[in-house]
Amino acid sequence: MATREAGKKMIMLKSPDGMEFEVEEAVAMESQTIRKMIEDDCADTAILIPNINSKILSRVIEYCNKHVPTTGATGAAASDTVAPAALAEDLKIWDAEFIKVNRATRFDLIQAASYLNIKGLLDLTSQTTIDTISDNSLEEIRSFLSTKNDYLPEEEQTIRRENQWAFQ
Amino acid sequence: MAGRPPFTNMDRDTAAALRRSGFNPRKLDGAAEQLCTYIYTELLPAPPVSGAPVRGLVITDAAHDPALPAADGVDRLSALPDTLLRHILSRLAVTDAARTAALASRWRRLWLSAEPVLVDTFLRPDDYLWPPTPANTPAITAAVSGILEAHLGPFRCVHLTCSHMGAHRAQLARWLQLLAAKGVQELVLVNRPWPFDVPLPDTLFGISTLVRLYIGLWKLPDTAGLRGASFPHLRELGICTVVMEQGDVDSIVARCPVLEILNIQGCHMGLRLRLVSQSLRCVQVCSSVVESIMVVKAPCLERLVLEGCRHTAAGLSTRVSIADAPKLHSIGSLEPGNHVLEIGGTIIMAGVKVSRSSILTSIRTLSLHVRFAVPSEANMVSTYLQFCPNVVRLHITSRKCSQHTGNLMLNCKLGPTDSAMSRIKVMYFREFRGEQSEIAFLKLFYKSAKVLEAAVVIMADPCFTPFREDVAFSKVWQASEVSRCQLISVHLGTGPEGGKAWSLKNESYFPSEELLPVKIISLGQ
Repeated sequence: MATREAGKKMIMLKSPDGMEFEVEEAVAMESQTIRKMIEDDCADTAILIPNINSKILSRVIEYCNKHVPTTGATGAAASDTVAPAALAEDLKIWDAEFIKVNRATRFDLIQAASYLNIKGLLDLTSQTTIDTISDNSLEEIRSFLSTKNDYLPEEEQTIRRENQWAFQ
Repeated sequence: MAGRPPFTNMDRDTAAALRRSGFNPRKLDGAAEQLCTYIYTELLPAPPVSGAPVRGLVITDAAHDPALPAADGVDRLSALPDTLLRHILSRLAVTDAARTAALASRWRRLWLSAEPVLVDTFLRPDDYLWPPTPANTPAITAAVSGILEAHLGPFRCVHLTCSHMGAHRAQLARWLQLLAAKGVQELVLVNRPWPFDVPLPDTLFGISTLVRLYIGLWKLPDTAGLRGASFPHLRELGICTVVMEQGDVDSIVARCPVLEILNIQGCHMGLRLRLVSQSLRCVQVCSSVVESIMVVKAPCLERLVLEGCRHTAAGLSTRVSIADAPKLHSIGSLEPGNHVLEIGGTIIMAGVKVSRSSILTSIRTLSLHVRFAVPSEANMVSTYLQFCPNVVRLHITSRKCSQHTGNLMLNCKLGPTDSAMSRIKVMYFREFRGEQSEIAFLKLFYKSAKVLEAAVVIMADPCFTPFREDVAFSKVWQASEVSRCQLISVHLGTGPEGGKAWSLKNESYFPSEELLPVKIISLGQ
């Protein structure tokens, strides 16, 4: 259901739990998956986003809204007064705030970012997992990621020996 | 010696040997460091992952609290598909990624099937990343060996730049064997001097999976080892300060059926390049001793760049010969004083008649380094333009003239305007110092360039000019009065004398205007 509002093309996104979100086409196209649908002309009515509930979808739209590149008259005016580096710094702070969510929500966001193919969001949501792996002991990582250790003790020893250089 | 820091690039024995031969080892050490930094920052491709993960993304209490189960109480991570977990692994520093193998059997499978990115500078314990200074070599080389042995491959990308391989030749041979056996797409292999000519094992020629290869500070293996070998996927090849034999580059290019980009820096043997390739699109040679570059047959060649290339023997010129390159649209930087351009067998010089076989109609961008104080050089600008009649973007760098040339009055004999310049739309003039001959050229140019849309004059750094900044500005202004073009800007230069060293990271053909600093005075009305 493409409608016009203030000269901008709008797109309707539907979550499986029946909520509808009207967003600017440019915002929706931050998702490569949706971009492809629009470019292939499969998007004249509302686009159903399977597997992503309304709570997560609204967060994803919030992210895309913030990250859509500013163009046109207002965008040019903004970049005249604010240095690009400052804008990037601003976005970084916003991202850090955005990702302060519980573990379950984050995993949902990772999956949503992956399905919708939004690289920036995928990197952002993966990052906490990456930091955890970098900063903690294996036991801590196991508990954080709720991963079950299915090795026998001697097996784990063998694998540690195999990658000994990584444990120094 | 007491109290002085040890040498960065040579051990004490090398330093003593150099001192005995009459060299100043500290000076040479500094020069080697400069060369390494230049190669790292301007020539090598950047690694695809960053070493230090972005910190500061705070994990909330809720996320951290082990007492708080995931919302629906199931193992959420297992719900993530393998491709996503591999994505996470590929963004990790390689040691962290490898540690996850001990988490659970699924993670071990993931790690072994991920295509790791191995960048040795990221293995330094002190978080010092770029540009790589010499590492605590034994520890790093051991870690690299461990990784290359442990992972089954293929590797997506391997950058090894911070070890003194002169002292680890056995490891070097083993690394190349492993890479050849396991496969690697992108390989950057740069040695740390001294010495400068550690021989690369010819196993290098056996790595047939390569898509991008940069080698630096080696002695190239005998290309007899190429027999039977080929690089069927190689698209980009960079050779930086590598000792090699005449003909080696030609032999390698002949084994690369899809090679598009060839970059050569610091070749000091008097390179003779004979280009025959169905795939090459871009050839760049910088800071090298070059006898000749012959473009024999290169149907896809678009850019030919020579920056800072000289002939071995003083007084002789590097021959740049174009026989068959129908798509060549950019060429530079030709130096009338050091290069001779030959098109279809005709040597281009003043007074030679333009004929159908000696004309390059495809060239749109031409870059020249000219000593305007030498009249014969200054006049070559117009001569080149006659043989490249479709040039619309002209880049001029003014070179300083060291010899005394007497009276500097110039170009008077060229007449009131010059038709060869009449088609130029965009002109860059770099290293303007305010000399009389430069002003004479600008005046002539502005008068002749009837369709000029934009001109940019970039001053030499004021500390290298004979005039004060404002005087030089007023000279450009004065010269520009004759132009009808509304878009003439003057920029203050800050670079080293003679301009910046060539960078392979220039995205456009020549350094773009966005690099220009600080002061802009628009002379448009």
